[in-house]
Amino acid sequence: MNKFLRQKYGLLDGNARNRRITDDMRRALANPIWHYLLFGVVILVIGFLSSNRIISYSLGTGLATTFAYAIAAVGFCLLMGYSGLASLGTGGFIGIGTYSMYYIMGEAKLPFIVALAVAIAVAIVIGVIVGFISLRIEGIYLAILTLGLSEILRQLYVAVKDSLNFNNFKLFGIAIPNRAMIYVITVTLVIVMIITHNLIVSPTGRAMLAMKNSTAAAQAMGISLMKYRLLAFVICTIYASVSGLLLMAATRSAMASNTTGFYAMVTSLNILAAVIIGGTRSIWGALVGTFIMYGLQTVVFNKIPFFQRNPVIITFVSGILVVLVVMFYPGGLAQLLAEIKNGVKKLHKKIREGKYGKDVG
Amino acid sequence: MAYFLNTLSITLTPVCITVLAAMAITIIFKTSYTANFAQAVIASFGAYVVAAGLNKAGLSIWIAMPLGVLAAVALSVFIDVVIFRHGRYVNSLGKQIITMGLTSVIVAAIPLIFGASQEIIPFKKFIDGNLTFEVGGELVSVTKNSLVCVAITVAVIAAIFILLKYSKWGLSVRATASNEYVAGMMGINTHVVTAVSWGLAGALSVLAACMTTSIYPLNAYFMSNYQVNAFLACILGGFATFHGPVIAAIIIPVASSLVTYLGNVAGAPELSGWSMVIVYGLSLLVIFFLPQGIIGGKTVKKV
Repeated sequence: MNKFLRQKYGLLDGNARNRRITDDMRRALANPIWHYLLFGVVILVIGFLSSNRIISYSLGTGLATTFAYAIAAVGFCLLMGYSGLASLGTGGFIGIGTYSMYYIMGEAKLPFIVALAVAIAVAIVIGVIVGFISLRIEGIYLAILTLGLSEILRQLYVAVKDSLNFNNFKLFGIAIPNRAMIYVITVTLVIVMIITHNLIVSPTGRAMLAMKNSTAAAQAMGISLMKYRLLAFVICTIYASVSGLLLMAATRSAMASNTTGFYAMVTSLNILAAVIIGGTRSIWGALVGTFIMYGLQTVVFNKIPFFQRNPVIITFVSGILVVLVVMFYPGGLAQLLAEIKNGVKKLHKKIREGKYGKDVG
Repeated sequence: MAYFLNTLSITLTPVCITVLAAMAITIIFKTSYTANFAQAVIASFGAYVVAAGLNKAGLSIWIAMPLGVLAAVALSVFIDVVIFRHGRYVNSLGKQIITMGLTSVIVAAIPLIFGASQEIIPFKKFIDGNLTFEVGGELVSVTKNSLVCVAITVAVIAAIFILLKYSKWGLSVRATASNEYVAGMMGINTHVVTAVSWGLAGALSVLAACMTTSIYPLNAYFMSNYQVNAFLACILGGFATFHGPVIAAIIIPVASSLVTYLGNVAGAPELSGWSMVIVYGLSLLVIFFLPQGIIGGKTVKKV
């Protein structure tokens, strides 16, 4: 240990070295990846407490479904916030996952990894198709077109098999009961968040952002529109498909002809609304948004007797929330949080100034 | 032949519904530059008002329907005047998301206003009975209700096109559609134009909803399939003109029942489950090669 420290910090010793070490640690901990991991640990603890009925049982299952949707939302965040492409196909893409899960794991009794591989492969094909469409059609037209595509997929699901029932989710040969799904989902979500974060800070993310701000300028800088649009759609579709896999494992049944089910327009709109509420360019925002759209109901409102009697009020409130956020906070809750943070900083500075006078450190 | 005509006669009402819904979406898109995703639930809201008038107040459909239309017009104008105009930073995408938020609000408000029961609300048709013809020794039957639907649709759509083409209001709508900012500078009150368009769209969608009740039982989401069809029709026909979406809205349901018909004739009745998949797939293919729609102008991209 001492040798390592000497190599890293040279001849510094005593206080100077300690200060350098703390600085380095602080810098390393400022890396958002630690935040994601910390978040994962917190959720795992909540899941453990909930599955052992120390705290409310429905909290764990509610969070599990919410975070399964959050995976799709994070992918959508990448698509909309970073590549500037609007898609309303999320519902249809989620179906890729549920159907691979049903047919590969449920019917063919193959391991989960095969289902995952098939889901990802199909998602890549569909993502490439949509990506090619996006090269010719843009903006609001693309959104409506993907809505049509999602509807094609939904009709296809209805025609293939309308109602799915699935209840033998196994991971490495171990049957995972419903209450343990939150562990699987949380681990996947954290992995997805870390991958997405790395993608965003990499040259790929910067290329996507350039493409969003001006396609002409991006092309002039040598960024291939085709490559990055296809990539954005492929990633978004894969995430939605993985989210579908986990949703199927967590909820155990799905109905394609249901107009409020997984593959319906409502799901696509809800995921879009979640990303908008949270803030289109923030992974945390996508998470908070999904929680508002899906989690609030199962986790918070269902505990309050008033809302238990009137469940529609929750839909009412979330709708009004969407409208208000878009009207007055187009940056979403992420912007609100940033403003609050800035406000606190300013307040802190003012207090210091009041205490010690101006121009003090 | 008779079987073919029977297939078409069943398609009459869906064609009317899709045409009205597509017209509603187009007229809002042209003046407000946004796709109104709340159209279907606004229509349901109006239909609930009609149903309340029919069943609770015991009115006739010809009195209850204008009441429902009025309610939907009021709601639509409210959305445009109170919500869209007061958003601080609302852009085109933002407006779409607002309409999605409004979808949840209205869906939740319907059971609050009209009672939470999920029972099917009986909804009278405009008129009962069938008309039968003899074609080549076989019987072709058309419901009188669908003929009333066609009459209403043709009258309304024709009136809208005549007004758009020859009236001062139509001129101001077309000016706003081509460029809202410049239209405002030329002295057109674009606020009034958009508000009237929203009201008109609300009225059209309630008409469509009243027709839908003869096919599906009334609930808050019962128009969503037709809305998706209408959106696709708008893209297929192209938003560049007013008549493009209407033509595409006729094509889509007809093509869907043609697929079913061909399937039955060719001895593959299971094709009927796939008819929408096939029609959507073909439409996507067409749009891929004609991104501006089948009747679309050419847009020049400014850099």
